[in-house]
Amino acid sequence: MDNSTTGLGHVMRVEVDAKAWRLFPDLRELAAYRDLFITLSYRDIRVRYAQTALGFAWAFFQPLATLLVLSLIFGRAMDVDTQGIPYPLFAVTGISAWSYFSFVLKESGGSIIGSQEIVRKIYFPRLIIPLSKATVGLVDLVVALLVMIAMFFIYGLTPQKGIVLTVLFLLGIMVAAVGVGIWVSALTIKFRDLQHAIPFLIQFGLFITPVAYPARSVTSSIPPWGTVLYYMNPMAGMIEGYRWSILGIGGVHGLAWLSFGMAIIFFVTGLIYFRKVERYLADLV
Amino acid sequence: MIKVDGIGKQYNIAGARAIDLRSDIRSNIKRLVSRKKGTFWALQDISFQVSEGESLGIIGRNGAGKSTLLKILSRITYPTTGRFTIDGRLSSLLEVGTGFHSDLTGRENIYLNGTILGMRRHEVKRKFDEIVAFSGVEQFIDNPVKYYSSGQKVRLAFAVAAHLEPEVLIIDEVLAVGDVEFQRKCLGKMKDVASHGRTVLFVSHNMSAVNNLCDRCILLDMGRIEQIGPTREITRSYLSRNNDELAGSKDLDSLPEKQEQAARFKSIRLVNDAGETMEHAKITEQFHLELTHQVFSTGSKPQPVVLLFNSKGEQILTTYPGVGANIGHSPGIHTTRVTFPPDLLNSDTYYLTLWLVTWLPYKAHQVAENVLAFQILDDVASSTYPPSDRPLGGVIRPRLDWRVLS
Repeated sequence: MDNSTTGLGHVMRVEVDAKAWRLFPDLRELAAYRDLFITLSYRDIRVRYAQTALGFAWAFFQPLATLLVLSLIFGRAMDVDTQGIPYPLFAVTGISAWSYFSFVLKESGGSIIGSQEIVRKIYFPRLIIPLSKATVGLVDLVVALLVMIAMFFIYGLTPQKGIVLTVLFLLGIMVAAVGVGIWVSALTIKFRDLQHAIPFLIQFGLFITPVAYPARSVTSSIPPWGTVLYYMNPMAGMIEGYRWSILGIGGVHGLAWLSFGMAIIFFVTGLIYFRKVERYLADLV
Repeated sequence: MIKVDGIGKQYNIAGARAIDLRSDIRSNIKRLVSRKKGTFWALQDISFQVSEGESLGIIGRNGAGKSTLLKILSRITYPTTGRFTIDGRLSSLLEVGTGFHSDLTGRENIYLNGTILGMRRHEVKRKFDEIVAFSGVEQFIDNPVKYYSSGQKVRLAFAVAAHLEPEVLIIDEVLAVGDVEFQRKCLGKMKDVASHGRTVLFVSHNMSAVNNLCDRCILLDMGRIEQIGPTREITRSYLSRNNDELAGSKDLDSLPEKQEQAARFKSIRLVNDAGETMEHAKITEQFHLELTHQVFSTGSKPQPVVLLFNSKGEQILTTYPGVGANIGHSPGIHTTRVTFPPDLLNSDTYYLTLWLVTWLPYKAHQVAENVLAFQILDDVASSTYPPSDRPLGGVIRPRLDWRVLS
């Protein structure tokens, strides 16, 4: 299935051939629709905080509330070993990354069905929909990062390994989130049940990802094959590495490459599967 | 230029929409076991070319594949076979108001809608003042759209669409019906575009509009091109095809079904005062149309709308029970009757198109085009008109009061 668009700025020539098959999305076409991508992202951000009493304050409230709960349960009640790092600081690193991942997953799930009015009536590269959701999540990510930076000041600590590594791990987290998000958005078109499963997946994911506890406290007590399974979760190695780059604790596990590999596999196969679904998407929603 | 080569579109009959995982697995198993494919071709072997600046009409009964063809050409869905190319910037007027978000202001919605329709942000910016002036909602432009009246919303939406400057314009008139003002604007816009040497594709059931606006025309039937040629020839032959169907009544159960249809027509009958089916009526005779429809879901409150066209394809009248009319809204079968008084229509062959709609909020449950044809005959014997070889001209033939004053 080929569907190419050439021309500067806007669509000038359309070619569609039922026989030709393109495995990956047309990047040039995506670029041509960047204005739509910007407007849709802007709309989602605006609508999200429009007419709520607290408005933008919600973006701060959510990570802070999660941080408080985790600090009480894991920091006080269970007393997790954080290698001398104050627990709230330990937790906020995990939360900032995990809340972005879970937001993208949650929003992508219903994203295409939620845009059915547009999808049924007009053409644009459908990939823009989950991608714009991933962009909207960046607002919350930035807010969570601000909270984290503020806490470094409060505890009078400085980051450990350097900003370059942290940025690399953040990029990895985005690749993982967007990859899983694209999969989920494409799958929910055909299997609407998935929409109901996503909150459960997110909840479950919080337990099997080293957000509130160090990965070591799980992997030290399970057999090697269990550790392999644990690191099949793309976010496991990502969050561990991200935390290591900031706090200098934990280190990157030898199996963390599995997580990075999974993130890339999710991303690439997600793009391919999305392309496949894109063809009959408007017939299904 | 548009070049379409062997386009076909196949749909699954039952599995077009997999509601949940269970039914998808079930249908996959069924397919494995029975090896029978529940599919049908909505379009087959569609090939044609439209040169630059030409207007092409697409006509045909409901379910003939017109909308599917437009959907494929505007790339909303993909063809199963064939290929096509379109040169030039394409936009379609079936998307007016698409993506409007009620929580956003008019200003924000202009940008949103404009970019959804394929404009760049700087283009919207450049035309912004023009768009706002055209819409006539200047003083509300920074209010959320949810506080707009429906008329203001349509005006704003149309203002955006009118500033698209497409090189190829696609219009599905069916989608614009229900708002006379809007329909008029669409047709005006189309004339405007066509006269500027742009290419237009026009799907319509209004034969006089097609005759007026299109140079060439395609007649679709059962997903295939039945005829293609000069508009007047095609529309004439389309209308005359229904002459075989001067039966006086018609079973409408066989019309294609939409998914999740809340109501649909069962039958239509032309009857006399005694309730007997008739094939034609005399000018001086009163007659009735009896419409039967079935309601599937409570609360949808559908009612029939009758559109009457003459043999030239001109719309003579539109009639419906009235927005608040109580015509039986409970699930089940309902019959309504509309009476045409004597001395209303001139002698001609008439064609009926039926709509089944809910007015508030507006939703069309079914559009049944050209379902029945009937003749109104001149009855010289009982009329006061002088016998003549030539029929009296005019669309209507009322009996008017003449008095001699001096």
